[in-house]
Amino acid sequence: MSWITVVWSINVGACLTLATMYLAVWCKQRESWVHLLFSCSAIAAAAISAFELWMMNAQTVERYEALLRWIHVPVWVLMLSFVAFVRLYLHAGRAWLAWSIYGLRTLVLILNFIFPVSINFRAITDIHHFSWAGEIVSLPVGLPNPWGLISSFTLLLLLIFSVDATITVWRRGDRRRALLVGGSMIFGAILAWHVPLVIRGVIEVPFFLGFTYTAIVAAMGYELSNDMAQAAHLACELELSHKRLNLAADSADLGLWEWDLSKDEIWVTPTRRAQLGFPVSEKITFEDLISRWHPDDRDKVRQALRDAIENGKDYNEEFRGVLADGSVRWVAARGRVQVNRQGKPIRLLGVSMDITARKQAELEAARQQQDLAHLARVTTLGELSCSLAHELTHPLTAILSNAQAAQRFLARDDADLDEVREILNDIVTQDQRAGEVIHRLRLLLKKGEPQKHCDDVDLNEVVRDVLKLMRNDLINQNVTVDTDLAQNLPRVTGDRVQLQQVLLNVVLNACEAIADYDSSERQLLIASKSENGAVGVSVTDRGRGIPEGKLEQVFERFFTTKQEGMGLGLSICRTIINEHRGEIWGTNNAHCGATFHLSLPIVRSDALSAAPSEVLDRSALTATDASAPRVTAPSGVAQIRCDRIGGGRTEGKRVEQSCSKGGSDH
Amino acid sequence: MPPPSSPTVFVVDDDEAVRKAVSRLLRSAGIAMAAFASPGEFLAQYDPATPGCLVLDIAMPGFNGLQLQTTLGEKGSSLPIIFLTGHGNVSKSVQAMKHGAFDFLSKPVKDKDLLAVVRAAIETDAFVRREQAKFSEIRARLDTLTPREREVLEHVVAGKMNKQIAADLGITEATVKMHRARVMAKMKVQSVAELARLTERCGIKGTNLLKSAA
Repeated sequence: MSWITVVWSINVGACLTLATMYLAVWCKQRESWVHLLFSCSAIAAAAISAFELWMMNAQTVERYEALLRWIHVPVWVLMLSFVAFVRLYLHAGRAWLAWSIYGLRTLVLILNFIFPVSINFRAITDIHHFSWAGEIVSLPVGLPNPWGLISSFTLLLLLIFSVDATITVWRRGDRRRALLVGGSMIFGAILAWHVPLVIRGVIEVPFFLGFTYTAIVAAMGYELSNDMAQAAHLACELELSHKRLNLAADSADLGLWEWDLSKDEIWVTPTRRAQLGFPVSEKITFEDLISRWHPDDRDKVRQALRDAIENGKDYNEEFRGVLADGSVRWVAARGRVQVNRQGKPIRLLGVSMDITARKQAELEAARQQQDLAHLARVTTLGELSCSLAHELTHPLTAILSNAQAAQRFLARDDADLDEVREILNDIVTQDQRAGEVIHRLRLLLKKGEPQKHCDDVDLNEVVRDVLKLMRNDLINQNVTVDTDLAQNLPRVTGDRVQLQQVLLNVVLNACEAIADYDSSERQLLIASKSENGAVGVSVTDRGRGIPEGKLEQVFERFFTTKQEGMGLGLSICRTIINEHRGEIWGTNNAHCGATFHLSLPIVRSDALSAAPSEVLDRSALTATDASAPRVTAPSGVAQIRCDRIGGGRTEGKRVEQSCSKGGSDH
Repeated sequence: MPPPSSPTVFVVDDDEAVRKAVSRLLRSAGIAMAAFASPGEFLAQYDPATPGCLVLDIAMPGFNGLQLQTTLGEKGSSLPIIFLTGHGNVSKSVQAMKHGAFDFLSKPVKDKDLLAVVRAAIETDAFVRREQAKFSEIRARLDTLTPREREVLEHVVAGKMNKQIAADLGITEATVKMHRARVMAKMKVQSVAELARLTERCGIKGTNLLKSAA
């Protein structure tokens, strides 16, 4: 066997091997088109070498003609896949050049099959055998086809394309690639020029187009294998990093998790997987995972996840999980949705943390807080006890007098039974009234459950409740309370009793602030309004205000301006309001007195969306209404519309607010 | 003079239930009454000529019981006021007492206590009104006297003899006698003692006070 046969065959084998390897890679990573293009070019290079070998050994003109005609198919494939590879893999080369090459080369292929012999020859007259490097090889002799110039022109375009792409890559700083791939491309494109020269009989060498392309294919293969080596290295690194991550996660008692939304498959760190009682390799679906959470918390978690996936919010939730050993642990989970290019959520990545200890501490703190709040509440009610007792005397007086009147009516000969019936009805009503007073008291005296803010509370109702509780106290102190309550106030989520306690404290403080003033000055204004997603209640007095610089201090624990005060009231108010995610603060009015504001968020958004226009109108209305009572008018006189409540009686009237004390009291 | 109307108990209490119940109790005892929700409402309708008494809640929002008491006092009303008080109204009760409240009853009030006090108050009012009527009568009689007759009256009440009076006033004793007889006739009295008692009721003790009183 001649060495030429051996070398060309080796080339074919090498190219095919490369092609097979990368075809296998492409089969596993279908989106990686460069691997397919590489395979195509390698197969084409192998085919070209094979054709060349056959041509060198061709003995008849007909055979040579056929081989020369068909070799253009692999050449077409090679040039197209090669140009596409450069564009795709190196992101270089001008598009118009690439398309010109695609078009012209395809034209060459078509013309090749239209002409009787091929694009290269009009006719092959003879086969010229000559000795080359110790071997006898065959070359065609004939009339070159002038259309073969198009083929040569595509080679020129390929050279230009390769130089341009190489320069682009070089300038990009990727010099190794520029040298290797670009260099081999230019080298190959130059060497390919031996074909037209041989055809025109300028030089006498066998065709070795296969080798020139093999060089390029080898360079491309080297680059790709580099990538694969790098990928393998990264895989190693990843494995290591994975281990480190697991170690870090385990040390910090963190659980990492990832939820593939399309496959509904959840990956969690091995330790957490074991804790939750999942077998090592079993697939975990969302339903599997949520079945490990506490039944009471599942809906909440589902809702939070739905929010995260549908609205792209960060997932951030605290819930109870039931471990494989049956123990209940508090878990805080945070996560974020990943979306694909179309913006569709594909997976949720996150971390979970065991916060049982913190939660227990929080619960304990909340319990203590609750105890303290209860203590303060009982103390406050103690201050009010006299007037609260009096609150019962009204219904009791009515009951006794009614009953004794009934006795007297019955003792008469002409007893009016209708009258007696009416009396009995009134007695029942008054008894219920007394019962309500006691019920209100009992609610306030009762110790609440910590962290139980689950009622929907109308703050206007809270204001009315507090005024009912304080009715008698207000009468005794000669305090008039004006109210300006917004209509259809959105509800807030909270503990009604605790909110009553806060308002009770604030109103009691306001009463004390004006205790030394003339009865005409003893006026309070309680206003409610809804704005910016929050409901606000303000209590305005016309006392001497709070000394500047102490506006914040009054909320500190054990800070008091009273002789008998413990200094707990407002600090507990602030704690309660903070727990409700609200705010409480005090301001001094422009002319006299102070205003305490409390603001609570409207948690339920459906209340807003139900009638948005109405809400807008209302907030605009209350905003203007509420600005007036703050007594900010420079003249010290503000006309406001409000309802006057004197211990429960309500009558609408205009009240002229004037501040005779002025700012000197500050 | 119109005939005196029957005694009426005025109930003023802002609590509707209490007001209604107390009114019923009074009605059950056959006592005429009128109820008002606030001192203002009462003042708007009150006719001082109506005898009776006032059952008043001491603690009311705004214009309260004590203020009503003061207002009535300023108007010269002698209507007896029975205060109904709750707990914790000691200071107010003391204040009311100082201003001459008729009595205090603490809520809840027993029917016997209330009715007894109400009746006593009505009687007192009737007595006072009778006294006031007499006083007015005396004043009316006094008003018929001429200035000279009043001077004579003062001296007679002071216990002076006709001769002394004549000397003091610079008139004859006969003239003094004539004035004296006219005074006795106009004042519709038989004796000097009776005259002294009448004038004393008006706070006159034979001094020049009578002049200023007139």
